[in-house]
Amino acid sequence: MTKRAVVIFPGRGTYGRNELGYLATHHRDKQDFLAEIDDWRAQNKRTPISDIDSAESYSAGRHASSLNASSLIYACALSDFADIDLSKFEIVAICGNSLGWYLSLAAGGALAPANAIRLVDTMGALMETDGVGGQMVYPTSDEQWRPDVNRANLVNRALDAGARAGAAHLSINLGGTAVLAGDDAGLDAMEKSLPSADERYPFRLARHAAFHTPLLEHVSKLAFENLPGCLFDRPQVPVIDGRGVIWNPLSSDVDALYQYTLGAQIFQTYDFSKSVEVALKEFAPEILILPGPGSTLGAPIGQCLVAHRWWGIQSKDQFVKRQKDDPVLLAMGRPDQRSIVVD
Amino acid sequence: MAGSIAASEDGFADRLGRNKLPEPLSSVSLTDAAISPTELVGLFESQLASRALDLGARKLGVEKRGFYSIGSAGHEGNAALANILRPNDPAFLHYRSGAFLIERARKAGGETPLWNMALSFVASADDPISGGRHKVIGSKSLFVPPQTSTIASHLPKAVGAAFGVALARTHKKADAQASLDSVVVASFGDASANHSTAQGAFNTAAHTAYRGLPLPIIFLCEDNGIGISVKTPAGWIKTAFSNRPGLRYVYSDGRDVVDAVAAARTAQSIARQSRIPVFLHMRTVRLMGHAGSDLEASYRARPEIEREADQDPLLHTARRLIENSILSREEIRNLYGSIKHRVESILNAACDRPKLETAEAVMSTISPASEQAPSENPKTQTKNPADARARSEPPHMSRLISLTLADEMALNPNIIVFGEDVGKKGGVYGATTRLQKQFGPSRAFDTVLDEQSILGMAIGAAHIGYLPIPEIQFLAYVHNAEDQIRGEAATLSFFSGGQYANPMVVRVAGLAYQKGFGGHFHNDNSVAVFRDIPGVILACPSSGGEAVRLLRTCIRVAREQKRVVIFLEPIALYGTKDLHVEGDGLMAAVYEDVDGDAPFGAPGVIGDGADLAIITYGNGVSMAQKASTTLAKDNIAAKIIDIRWLSPLPIDAIIKQAAACNSVLIVDECRRTGSLSEEIIAGFADHQFAPNLARVTGEDSFIPLGPAADTVLVQEADIIRAARALIKDKRKAAE
Repeated sequence: MTKRAVVIFPGRGTYGRNELGYLATHHRDKQDFLAEIDDWRAQNKRTPISDIDSAESYSAGRHASSLNASSLIYACALSDFADIDLSKFEIVAICGNSLGWYLSLAAGGALAPANAIRLVDTMGALMETDGVGGQMVYPTSDEQWRPDVNRANLVNRALDAGARAGAAHLSINLGGTAVLAGDDAGLDAMEKSLPSADERYPFRLARHAAFHTPLLEHVSKLAFENLPGCLFDRPQVPVIDGRGVIWNPLSSDVDALYQYTLGAQIFQTYDFSKSVEVALKEFAPEILILPGPGSTLGAPIGQCLVAHRWWGIQSKDQFVKRQKDDPVLLAMGRPDQRSIVVD
Repeated sequence: MAGSIAASEDGFADRLGRNKLPEPLSSVSLTDAAISPTELVGLFESQLASRALDLGARKLGVEKRGFYSIGSAGHEGNAALANILRPNDPAFLHYRSGAFLIERARKAGGETPLWNMALSFVASADDPISGGRHKVIGSKSLFVPPQTSTIASHLPKAVGAAFGVALARTHKKADAQASLDSVVVASFGDASANHSTAQGAFNTAAHTAYRGLPLPIIFLCEDNGIGISVKTPAGWIKTAFSNRPGLRYVYSDGRDVVDAVAAARTAQSIARQSRIPVFLHMRTVRLMGHAGSDLEASYRARPEIEREADQDPLLHTARRLIENSILSREEIRNLYGSIKHRVESILNAACDRPKLETAEAVMSTISPASEQAPSENPKTQTKNPADARARSEPPHMSRLISLTLADEMALNPNIIVFGEDVGKKGGVYGATTRLQKQFGPSRAFDTVLDEQSILGMAIGAAHIGYLPIPEIQFLAYVHNAEDQIRGEAATLSFFSGGQYANPMVVRVAGLAYQKGFGGHFHNDNSVAVFRDIPGVILACPSSGGEAVRLLRTCIRVAREQKRVVIFLEPIALYGTKDLHVEGDGLMAAVYEDVDGDAPFGAPGVIGDGADLAIITYGNGVSMAQKASTTLAKDNIAAKIIDIRWLSPLPIDAIIKQAAACNSVLIVDECRRTGSLSEEIIAGFADHQFAPNLARVTGEDSFIPLGPAADTVLVQEADIIRAARALIKDKRKAAE
């Protein structure tokens, strides 16, 4: 009996120091898939991701740059996806965070592998050359991951302060965290407006542009110029986008999917929380699978579960206990949980 | 089993498996309907999901895990209208609208209709619309206010909402709750189309259009040919509605969704562009009986049931997809299988969600907003300074009401005043005098002579963001329309988890004692109709000044707490200026000089006598004041407690005032049975308050014409007599 599974793809910033050698460790059997990626990169005079993955040491400049991170994470995540044991899991829907949307399209079959790497790598390169502004994160939940109205109000106030000083937008609704974005003036004003929280926040993300905000409308135009609609197909599995819209295999309008992906998706708020909510409520999965690299998206997913009291989980402590006793979120970047997913 | 369609458990799957697809019903092509193959598949998915929910709900019912089994099977063609309309067009939907809601959610995106409907089937407190209080088709984000009516009593408010949309466009209302070019849709069945409430709504819509006024509404009549077990005569709906002046009739075959899409486009175009009301007659079939408990075979022959199942709209859509080489039969089977499996998983998960467990939780949404006290009435707000005449001859209650309304309308552009004769004439008793002149016919206007429509207009306009102050000309006229308050206005907050509200102040001229216009219909003294409705507020003034104070508070409570308020105006006091002697002017007031407040829930107190508390309201207050003068000569010092707020009854405040007196007399001008005095005495008992007590009330009679009326109504002499007896007994007992 297979379990109904929703696969949730991670976004940028998940290939960290600990993930070095991820492909080499787990995916030596996927040479064809990886070769196709590296061929594309070679044609475009970019370092092969297998070289980046097998570097002796981790370098943020190299591993976390837009030019490399997108394709590297794509390679890791899609390779993990291919390893899911389909005799144990029926994949009923797919969603993801930010870059994870492109990965969802690839995994769902809306982008063939050659088209997927073209899109992922092109978008990574465009962000490297044309990305402007930056991102910062601030919690909207309490220490137990429960929605915190006061913190949400602080974020709204910061957005107002940022908008008065420059550009400030909600970039990603990421579970119990708000990812804020803006230009330097906007970011500075937001940072100033937000009180220190949990000893870490507000926290600026290095090498991130103001993704999912109007500051990147020009990137959307460039994306349309560089990437034709014929790259897209209908998905084979329902995929859920950053607005919570479900793209079903038989009823998806491929042109509309193209328009969204290179349009609104790039310059409007990415509502990751909504996409997870739709996945939970409209597909009633029995398990969630988070492909690697890393497992940092686990916390935002857990926060979504708490927000909806899903599977009876109403706090971080309960989530941690449930994960220990009978995990509902299987992060393939964690060896203990990976073994449950992989044949 | 309970979920069977005709002879098989799942008639659609069975017929699809046997390739028993129906013959075409319509010559409309996909091109004619301007629907793409992809869009048709999307529509089909909504139809399939709706069916899967119906089958699942029946199964849950058998397992005693689900509590509602009236489904949408056979009516899935209504998804066509959802496909064509905008996701934020206000929609008042009847209970067979599952596919409509799912399709609208699909068009909007980011919605979770299957989960939400599953929660409603299992009455979970997590249901985002009703919070587990009822299975309703509703959604805040999709502008589908929940309806519970099975008798089309939601139609008058749909007309009101369409009227509100048109009005908002006239007013260029920036804070309107709906887009100014919205089309309102209201759905119902062929059987309920006969209901007088529905007929009233059609008539009002047609009447409005006939006058050349815009009314952007689509009446979606889903004609399955049967109401529970009673068949609608063949051709009745078409015959009855296709030639009705003011209504544009459009026919569609809802069994064939492509035909339905084409008709929906036509209907939308007429309603949105021309803003003319449309009667969209949609042929449907009813599958799976009326409800889970309905044994259809007891009144319908088996071959007939099977023939209906052969015309399943899902089969027709499947036929369209196959004929147009969009999907193969195998793909359709797989798609249906996967949707059914998905819906079953959703329903099972929904069963684990919490239920409402306490009365407090159930009742928490009876009132939409917090219980915080409304803001204080502004002290000086008049835009109509008293002229010299008003100073020398202070106006009476009805004029003071019109002055109050004028002030409030000047302060709040959302207020609209309407009813019979309220416009040019200014009301039969002058309580809306000059309002039309001052604010124009778009804010103070006459309506068709139909109380259901007046109240429906108030509810609907409130949905669009107005604060309606309708007038019901006589209390007796409200009785044939009471369901618009009882079943509709009052329940909206309850069934929508407080998310929807229809704040309003309904002014009702009522109670007895008027001399000029006698008889039963103009002297009704039964207000029980308003007093047992949870959440509804009933206020009653006792003098001109009180009317100003109380009406101001009522408007504030409606606006700030989103409440439904009934303002019961004693007709006999409308023109009364004097209390004790001619010329004393104690019942009149200079509007500008009216001060003080009448806080929500606080009774008024006149005098401070300790011998006797007279608890009364309305006409009873002035009668008690006059009686007190006489009683004072007997050394009986009275205090009059003017209840003001008849419902909810401020029993604590009443007892607090009454407890300071030796005896208590309740003067209730309404009928003895079912009157307020009963509730007060029961309240005393509940609070273990046992004063020396008596009551005088009206008789359990209808009110006759002429002087005979006094024989069945409380008179000043009755009060004096009862008070004396009460005090005598008390003093005797003390000796």
